[in-house]
Amino acid sequence: MKKNILRMSLVLVTATLLLNACKKDKPGEGNDEEVITTMNLRFTPVGGGTVSNYTFDDPDGPGGATPTKSVITLNASLTYDVQLTLLNKTVTPVEDVTTEIIAEADAHRFYYQPSATSAINVSNLNNDGNGIALGTTSRWTTGTTGLGTIRITLRHYASNPPNKAGADPVDSPKSDTDIEVIFDTAIL
Amino acid sequence: MGLLMANGQQCSLDLKGHIEDADSKEKLSGATVFIDSLGLVLTTDERGDFIFKGLCPGTYRLRVSHVGCETIEEEVALNKNRHVDINLPHLKNTLSEVTINSLSGIQNTGTKNELSGRALEATKGESLAEALSRINGVSMLQTGSTISKPVIHGLHSNRILTINNGVRQEGQQWGNEHAPEIDPYIAGKLTVIKGVDELKYGSDAIGGVILVEPKPLLGLPGYNAELNAGYFTNNQLYVVSGLFEQQLKALPAFTYRLQGTFRKAANVTTPNYRLNNTGLEEQNFSVTAGWKKHQLNSELFYSFFNTQLGIFKGAHIGNLSDLREAIAGGQPDAVFTGQNTYHIERPRQEVRHQILKSKTILQKGKHKYSLLLSAQINDRKEFDIVRNSNNKSPQMDISLVTFSEELTREWITGKNFTHTAGINSVQQENQYAGRYFIPYYKSLNLGAFYIVKWNKEKWDIQSGVRFDQKNINTNRLLADSVVFDQYTFNFSTLGASLNAGYAFTKQLKVNGTITLATRAPYVNELLSNGIHHGTATYEIGNINLKEEQSINTSLNMSWRNSSETFSIQGTVYRNQINNFIYQQPKPNEPVLTIAGAFPKWVYQQNNAVLSGTDITTRLQPVKSLTWTIKYAMLRATNRDLRDWLIRMPADRIQNELSWDFKDGKRWSKTFVSAEMVYIAEQTRVPDEKNGEQDYKAAPEAYTLVNATLGTTVELFKLPITVSITARNMFNVVYRDYLNSMRYFTDEMGTNIQLRLKIPFKHLH
Repeated sequence: MKKNILRMSLVLVTATLLLNACKKDKPGEGNDEEVITTMNLRFTPVGGGTVSNYTFDDPDGPGGATPTKSVITLNASLTYDVQLTLLNKTVTPVEDVTTEIIAEADAHRFYYQPSATSAINVSNLNNDGNGIALGTTSRWTTGTTGLGTIRITLRHYASNPPNKAGADPVDSPKSDTDIEVIFDTAIL
Repeated sequence: MGLLMANGQQCSLDLKGHIEDADSKEKLSGATVFIDSLGLVLTTDERGDFIFKGLCPGTYRLRVSHVGCETIEEEVALNKNRHVDINLPHLKNTLSEVTINSLSGIQNTGTKNELSGRALEATKGESLAEALSRINGVSMLQTGSTISKPVIHGLHSNRILTINNGVRQEGQQWGNEHAPEIDPYIAGKLTVIKGVDELKYGSDAIGGVILVEPKPLLGLPGYNAELNAGYFTNNQLYVVSGLFEQQLKALPAFTYRLQGTFRKAANVTTPNYRLNNTGLEEQNFSVTAGWKKHQLNSELFYSFFNTQLGIFKGAHIGNLSDLREAIAGGQPDAVFTGQNTYHIERPRQEVRHQILKSKTILQKGKHKYSLLLSAQINDRKEFDIVRNSNNKSPQMDISLVTFSEELTREWITGKNFTHTAGINSVQQENQYAGRYFIPYYKSLNLGAFYIVKWNKEKWDIQSGVRFDQKNINTNRLLADSVVFDQYTFNFSTLGASLNAGYAFTKQLKVNGTITLATRAPYVNELLSNGIHHGTATYEIGNINLKEEQSINTSLNMSWRNSSETFSIQGTVYRNQINNFIYQQPKPNEPVLTIAGAFPKWVYQQNNAVLSGTDITTRLQPVKSLTWTIKYAMLRATNRDLRDWLIRMPADRIQNELSWDFKDGKRWSKTFVSAEMVYIAEQTRVPDEKNGEQDYKAAPEAYTLVNATLGTTVELFKLPITVSITARNMFNVVYRDYLNSMRYFTDEMGTNIQLRLKIPFKHLH
């Protein structure tokens, strides 16, 4: 009787010990592959001139330190070719997220919405494979003078197939927001 | 037996008892009563009475069986002559249980509410929280129609302990959209307890304890099998659950049970539209093996729970402007509705929970020792909508491993005292990958408790104390660095409870409890930091949080008339919680990210009071007709801010009429019932004068009607139980304040539920 109990408990204790031995043992390591920390806009004046860069930068990702944002300052009555780049600076080496967006161009779309007082007009967005706007490159034309804002939104079509259409507004229920940055703008 | 005699104790006690049908109150003659450990068998006389004479003091397991009933077991502590009343649920309550109402013995009368028998059967196929919400005072916190967690008197998540077959369930219960990882088909009985018995499981049960208890293992050689099936029309849910248990004649000490459930559902339909991606799929099974010989009783249990849940896409929010747009729509956009499919896509959850448990009980005279060892693994994966469609990995992946060891001893002293003492140790390790929400941590909890129960004539007094010491070490690798963010926390928590019951007469009983519970802050409250996509908020933990402490006083009263055609049971409670931890929106401090600005919510502490009442009355004007009225009311206030607490259940009234038909030749236990549930509008919400506290005003009051028709028919010599239930019979359009999807969608429309149960039994 007593032997029986001993044998039983021995089996049970061994079982828990075995389970204990099987468990993994690695420290806490988080890696969010979805982070975008930085948006860079590279302005090249059409017909020559100085190339300038304006950036929204949040190198530690959401939360933590407050992001920095430059004021987009452009010359009056000029046309610029604008190249947009997205980066993830939380990983080493820094990851270029733009290539990922371009690879799935038919499921993404940038919207550029300058405010009325900004005196900026955005056109010539590049297209995805189906001929619908993507917007990683664009052409900005400035007026004579203006102070305002521009809202740049990246929308993502999550459904499969994405069903992206040219007429989709920025707040289309078909897509949701990956990025929404509002830059202050000045035309000098 | 030999051991008992050798102790030279006085073996001259009588155990008398009376057995009744729980529903009809009919005296059950010819019921068989066993005391297996002594090899004693008796049958009840025509008055339903039995008597065992010349017993030694000790704890005995009574096994009671009756024609057309399940074999059931209950423990009885005997230290003087004693009478027990046993209510035996009849066959329509096949998942039955015995309630022993002691008249002169030691028996717990603390605060508890049970769901079993027919009421539990009626919830089969639904989730655990849905089943529990049938108990007065329990409501549900929901994320859509498929994710729900129980709320007891306004409290939920880590303020409630769930005890799954004796093991304290350790999952990721901190999230509002994290449902308990339990197969409801395991349960033969669901119980909500408060007060002294909480202390067996922890000092931190501020909201109460939920016990999920399987039926006892088979007590006779032979086998028993049961097949349950269900089909729900609304979301084409089908469920099949089976059970097989056996005790071999050649090896009567050994019993085993196999149990498994498969559940799958397509998208949910509201009265006006079908919600895409709201399906579910669940596969669960469990294996139990028992060994019982002489004073030794040992049980080994393993359970596997695996679920996949779709999350309504229209509620997956990129940023705050998306959220406002989705809410402003009033109705989800057509792109999120209309698909009728079982297919589940992102966003979705995948949750797996495994438990391995062994319990060994050694009975020695007036002493009972039990050793409980358990291991649990909880894996939770959340798949968000991602930019890259080739991405197959989860965005949040947490796994929690828990080991626990517990040793308890129960013993009897003198004439009226039973004691329970125990020590336990719990080790935990939590790992994560993907998006950060809670850190890696290791924790160790050491606890000890002591409970004493005293009973004499009309008095029943019990009290207990528990102390826990918890150590937590956290670790988080900060983004793009080799620096770890490490914290160490130490919390000491004390629990204590005193309960006194007094029976004025057999009909009128009063019971008062005062309970102190202390809960250590959970890691998410201390260290969460990130965007919560379901609510488009940026949640920030607070490492300076102190233990939360509650002093809960409650008074219960029950009265029934002598003919038992009328009964009333009422509870009044006041739960004062000091350092109540909650999330406070900071509307003027948005967190700016590249995806836009998110409202900031921070964890903070205030003093809160939750008080309320639950009243249940039962009226039986004629033998066949029962009218049950349940009323629950709660007032929850933040005392420091002099304001209401957010997300608290609104007042509710339930009316149920049920008619039981006379048994026919082949048809028995036939009944029809109709229920009307009224949920008031929650008007007591936080004031918005200090900024926005909620995205949308609380929804209006609503009334639902549910109806059931059930019967048991004898086919091929098997008593087959079938029922049909209509839930939300009139397809009412409504939203519930405690459902986070109320911002976006209506609740489920009419759902016709068909249930079938076939028991196979062969006992020697």
